[in-house]
Amino acid sequence: MPEILFNAFSFLQKKLKANGFDHSNVTIDVPENHSVIDLIKSMDLDPDGIEAVFVNGKAGDFEYIIKDKDRIALIPPGTPGPHRLLLGIRPGDPIK
Amino acid sequence: MSKIIRINTKERTFNYSEPDEEFAGLGGRAFTSRMILKEVPATCHPLGKHNKLVFAPGLLAGTGAANSGRLSAGAKSPLTEGIKESNAGGLAAQKIARMGIKAIVLEDKPEDDKWFNIVIKKDSVEIIPAGDLKGKGTNETISKLWEKYGKTGVICVGQAGEQLMISASMQLADPNGRPGRAFGRGGLGAVLGSKNIKAIIIDDAGSKRVDIADKDAFTAANKIWSKALTDHPVSGEGLPAFGTAVLVNIINEAGAFPTKNFREGRFEHAHDISGEKLSETITERKGVVSEGCHPGCVIKCSQVYNDKDGNYLTSGFEYETIWAFGANTMIKDLDDIAVLDKLSDEYGLDTIEMGVTIGIAMEAGVVPWGDGKKAIELLEEVGKGSALGKIIGNGAAFTGKAYGIDRVPVVKRQSLPAYDPRATKGVGVTYATSPQGADHTAGYAVAPNILSVGGSEDPLKKGNNVEVSRNLQIATAAIDAAGLCLFVAFPVLDHENGVQLIVDLLNAQLGASLTTDDVVALGTQILKDEIEFNKLAGFTKKDDKLPEMFDDSFEPHNVKWGYTEQELSKTLDFK
Repeated sequence: MPEILFNAFSFLQKKLKANGFDHSNVTIDVPENHSVIDLIKSMDLDPDGIEAVFVNGKAGDFEYIIKDKDRIALIPPGTPGPHRLLLGIRPGDPIK
Repeated sequence: MSKIIRINTKERTFNYSEPDEEFAGLGGRAFTSRMILKEVPATCHPLGKHNKLVFAPGLLAGTGAANSGRLSAGAKSPLTEGIKESNAGGLAAQKIARMGIKAIVLEDKPEDDKWFNIVIKKDSVEIIPAGDLKGKGTNETISKLWEKYGKTGVICVGQAGEQLMISASMQLADPNGRPGRAFGRGGLGAVLGSKNIKAIIIDDAGSKRVDIADKDAFTAANKIWSKALTDHPVSGEGLPAFGTAVLVNIINEAGAFPTKNFREGRFEHAHDISGEKLSETITERKGVVSEGCHPGCVIKCSQVYNDKDGNYLTSGFEYETIWAFGANTMIKDLDDIAVLDKLSDEYGLDTIEMGVTIGIAMEAGVVPWGDGKKAIELLEEVGKGSALGKIIGNGAAFTGKAYGIDRVPVVKRQSLPAYDPRATKGVGVTYATSPQGADHTAGYAVAPNILSVGGSEDPLKKGNNVEVSRNLQIATAAIDAAGLCLFVAFPVLDHENGVQLIVDLLNAQLGASLTTDDVVALGTQILKDEIEFNKLAGFTKKDDKLPEMFDDSFEPHNVKWGYTEQELSKTLDFK
């Protein structure tokens, strides 16, 4: 069973606490072939309330299958660090 | 806004003038940078009589448009020795605009040692002795000025600016009369100090809101604009709840949180200094989790942090400040970090520059790594004006030279902020190439790099980060010209017609017919002006680089910087 280091930030901390889960630097076991989305659901979190997931310090995919010793962190919408899409960052931007 | 007030600080005289055609349509950073280019000899001594200090509200200031209360200050920087625009909230921008003032320009330099205040009212300018405010910190200065003049806009220097230290800030009264807002970067406090001005008081009593060409269109546009800001999860929820410090955990998780003077990307005690911890502590001590830095702010990312006894300690406690005094120096006690922030505000010092400088002092063994109490004692030396304090107050590059340290994270002598350039390459490109020196607000490529939201730039690889940085620097310059808070970028980016909303506000206010292309052209022109000034001052492409310490590999992602001069030279290579 993969063992991971888990974190969740910002508004998610309060939600996890209410759901009976720890949120900071927690070592947890997850079932084999468990994806990030499976992990989110197992903690009674709404996937729509998660904006991004870090897998080993890099923005990752929600379908990623969790491996032993992974470092997983969840981030809700509302994180600053300006500019998501400003000029030309994605195709079709009106101000490209 | 139509008149320019020029104040001769040597003769202690002033005059009003109308802006000529070249300046008439400019505001904020567009105005200050154009004036510095046109009127300040690029090779002049920044603390000499030829330098000018220019204050200009943005184009939307004073209108009632949400989050339009930012003020630009420009000069030749004594820190970078290139052009500088610094940007702050507080009360001054809207009051200046409401008095119909397009810019305030401080010129020349006194030959005596007498200090003065400048009081600007609707129909008058007074230049009067500063009296016993000389030598006082900014908190006491603002308190006394509010006792005398009421709830005015105040821009002032503390002991650092009086001593002409090149890390000196100018502090502004926030809406509660505290020195919680700052023109932090580039040492502009030393320029105000070089002109023997302790404070500028902005009293707009009797003034009206600025004229709006099409009031109905403006009201309609502002309604949509305000809703876009308050509906967005970042500006409407995340920033009000946790402030910018929510980034501590996230940048740390991304492995880009510079720790121990940029040695590694994760700080063992990040949770202890995180936005979540900050918010929890503020609530426990009955502080204020969310307040605006200027009237009309609907984001409210500032806060009031109390000490253990519930007494006010500091406000405007930002991510970059917490990083600089925290992970960068290995200090893990949030209360120690808050005291360092308070002292910086009180003496009038840039918190980023001071945090990096304390890191250099720790490299030199002046104080131990992670020792918050010793760091506080070190910063207090600046207030005392001791020889050690004069070294520290002159910033990281100066302190590095004083102690023979070769590990000094600066670009154009200005300290790098809180995102490691090796692990957030788009930010690194901006650090290296911005005419302002290392500055995260000059083009904030953090979110697309880190979160992969709406973009797919890998923060660890070169990819298209040169192009991303260029576009962000252009956009940021345009936002600074409008006088908008940089955090409007979130809803602007995510809203279907985000940029058009700003254009609609400008068109309704000015009776103009601008397009989004004009906004991009404005941002580009600002950068061209700034690059031209720096070129005349002697800067070359060789100055657009990171120091060699960033050639070292960086954990946890084991990445290096790796950009060549030629690659970086394409960033702002405007034809």
